[in-house]
Amino acid sequence: MTPTQKGYAPNLTVFKKSLKAASVETSIENLISLLKRRQIKNSRPCAMATAELLRIVVARDRWTDLGKLIAHIQDVGRRLVEAQPRELAVGNIVRRVLGMIRDEGNEDRKNEGSDSGSATGSPQLEFSIPAPTTTKRPPSSSLRFASTDGVHFTEDRPTTRPPLMTSHTSYAVANNVPVQQSMFNLLSATGSPNLTPSGANSPHGDSTPHPFALSEKMINSTKDLRAEVVNGIEEILDELEQVDDQIAAYALEHIHSNEVILTHSSSVTVYKFLLKAADKRKFTVIIAESYPNDHEETHLAVMGKMKDPESEEEDKETYLKSLQAAGITVILVTDASIFAIMSRVNKVILATHAVIANGGLVAAAGARIIARAAKAHRTPVIVLSGVYKLSPEHPFEFESLIEYGDPGSIVGYEDGTLVEKMEVDNPLYDYVPPDLVDLYITNLGSHAPSYLYRIVADHYKPEDVNFNNPELLF
Amino acid sequence: AATAAPVVPKKEDKTVEFFRHLYRQRTTSIADASKEVHPAVLALGLQMGNYTICGSCARLVAMLQAFKSVIEAYTTPPGNSLTRHLTSHVLSPQIDYLASCRPISISMGNAIRWLKLEISKVDVDTPEAEAKKDLCGAIDVFLQERVTYADKLIAKKAAGKIKDGDVIMTYAKSSVVQRTLLRAFSKGKRFKVIVVDSRPLHEGKHLAAALVNLGMDVQYCLLNGLVHVIQNVTKVLLGAHAMMSNGRLFARVGTAIVAMEANEADKPVIVLCETIKFTERVALDSIVHNEIAPADELVTPGGPLTNWEDMKKLQICNMMYDVTPAEYLHMIVTESGNVPPTAVPVLHRMGNESG
Repeated sequence: MTPTQKGYAPNLTVFKKSLKAASVETSIENLISLLKRRQIKNSRPCAMATAELLRIVVARDRWTDLGKLIAHIQDVGRRLVEAQPRELAVGNIVRRVLGMIRDEGNEDRKNEGSDSGSATGSPQLEFSIPAPTTTKRPPSSSLRFASTDGVHFTEDRPTTRPPLMTSHTSYAVANNVPVQQSMFNLLSATGSPNLTPSGANSPHGDSTPHPFALSEKMINSTKDLRAEVVNGIEEILDELEQVDDQIAAYALEHIHSNEVILTHSSSVTVYKFLLKAADKRKFTVIIAESYPNDHEETHLAVMGKMKDPESEEEDKETYLKSLQAAGITVILVTDASIFAIMSRVNKVILATHAVIANGGLVAAAGARIIARAAKAHRTPVIVLSGVYKLSPEHPFEFESLIEYGDPGSIVGYEDGTLVEKMEVDNPLYDYVPPDLVDLYITNLGSHAPSYLYRIVADHYKPEDVNFNNPELLF
Repeated sequence: AATAAPVVPKKEDKTVEFFRHLYRQRTTSIADASKEVHPAVLALGLQMGNYTICGSCARLVAMLQAFKSVIEAYTTPPGNSLTRHLTSHVLSPQIDYLASCRPISISMGNAIRWLKLEISKVDVDTPEAEAKKDLCGAIDVFLQERVTYADKLIAKKAAGKIKDGDVIMTYAKSSVVQRTLLRAFSKGKRFKVIVVDSRPLHEGKHLAAALVNLGMDVQYCLLNGLVHVIQNVTKVLLGAHAMMSNGRLFARVGTAIVAMEANEADKPVIVLCETIKFTERVALDSIVHNEIAPADELVTPGGPLTNWEDMKKLQICNMMYDVTPAEYLHMIVTESGNVPPTAVPVLHRMGNESG
């Protein structure tokens, strides 16, 4: 996953260090070129780099009101996504940050507006209102049902930021009024088309404060807002660091003893999941090597040299505990053997590159034949994915999500003139349709593929989904 | 002297549990071959072991040619008859040696059974020279009928199914598929070939190179690119190691994946297979009957897997074949006609009764 060569090739760690010294604009350009050159690749490093960059943008940029900040973040996000449109995690993080800024704005507004007296605003009252969608939510999100008043869901904050929520829940609870429409008009500098559902019209007109008074107050509160947003981004970064361990916490619910599990390529998420299960159970893992793009890393992983992504020192390599040391028997097979060996496999566990809103996923090439062979043998397929990989984008042309790699790793110059005479394809990713997946495990819990659209809706605001005009990219 | 050997710590068993019944120690040198083994067979065994001679048909032909030399060099010892002596005392050690280099293929098994029957049919009173000549002649006829003409006929029939503008997908390398493509191309058909391949043998690369050198339009990908190219394919041609009596195809590992994806994309899957490869055996999965090649073949020299044997609890499985379910196959082109997979046992019986 991480580049194998040592030395001074720029990577995520180098980029993080450079952030301290460089100006905001230099850092943006720097990340764009790193993404373009694929020196930062794979969803997690890309997501982290994006979040780090946006933190700098929010913290250092001179902005006076939220509208300008949102516009600026959108602009930065658009440039990042254009640099590498197939890393959907970049766009996801930008959307999360945008949504968070809008939330902060809402709360701030509410805070200011509360002195204009909204009679409905008491927490006790709020809790007594039935929440129709609560039952469909993941169990860990109990905090959020305070804001679920059934009017529309976009007010929800990401479940993964509980600390932020607790500090502000009182504001959200304090008012049963969906203020998003008024907020949106106030913040958007360009008067863009109204994206909020018409049902969201405020029944309490008097709760919308006067815009002029507000903007004046807002300037005063910019400092607090800045701190809040930076805090929020840091929570996203924390989430990115913990996500694998959070997913691994569900391992024992899904793996029984003496099981035969098939996986492919070298994913830290899957690796940690299996390690966690190995604490309590004994089982066998079959690993398909995922030739020709990821086999080196896979071979290193089965040899107990899976790099620990948490270790930041680049001069000292730290490895995760090997699966074998945890008591697991590991069988390495070629990709061609997948169908032959599937009759002995109990469960297939796949890692992903990105998950799209229809429940399908983009994963390392070879994932589709594994999922299809599992379907042919009625073997359940489990997909492990952090919530940050869930993208609200829903392209209908799935081939547009697929990145192609170096054909030289399939037919090289050692094969002589063959190179120039024939067409050679080396796709890096596969699209796996949702009907081939039985279960998703995210850091929020386990979900059916058909439920993913709800989690997507919980995490992104509809007005942020198309912030980058995706039709221009594909 | 044997007791003086130093005590070696017991090695970890590196065999994969559910394939344990398939592991064989492979002979890789002629050092411990029994003295009865004919030099031609000695050489052939090594060539099979290192995949110089690879593929069900090529191995069958090479084996029967080598057996011809064995028969020609044979003299019946006094007090014995050729019919009683040849099979058990001369042929058996050759076969054992070949099997120790690489397990005997199903077509080779069929041919050996036929040859033994031929030998048993030789009249005891026939002079030795004449009997040997008859046997060699019979082998020639067998090879011509069951392999040479069969291949020609299959290639002719299958090439007739290729049209201008077709996109033909094939997996790894099959001699009869190659012959079919060449024939269609030489008849002026213009079509594209997609060769799908896999590690560790990369047989498809040889096929692709052969086709490219003739000026054909070839696309090459590994299994990871399969699902991205299958939409444009119009026909899938597959070679076979054997056809099982329950209609399943036993072929190079990975074939089942290609057939599965082709079936999913509604592409016709056509198997080209000589009837000598038909067997009365049945297979439901790829584990009961298979061939396990040495795991070291998967280790790239100097790569991360070097010294993998020192890694505890790590096993590497390098199987050679898989079994494709009959429902993925639409047609089997044989020299006796185009049949559905369900007709395999019928053709097999007919072939055996007439032969």
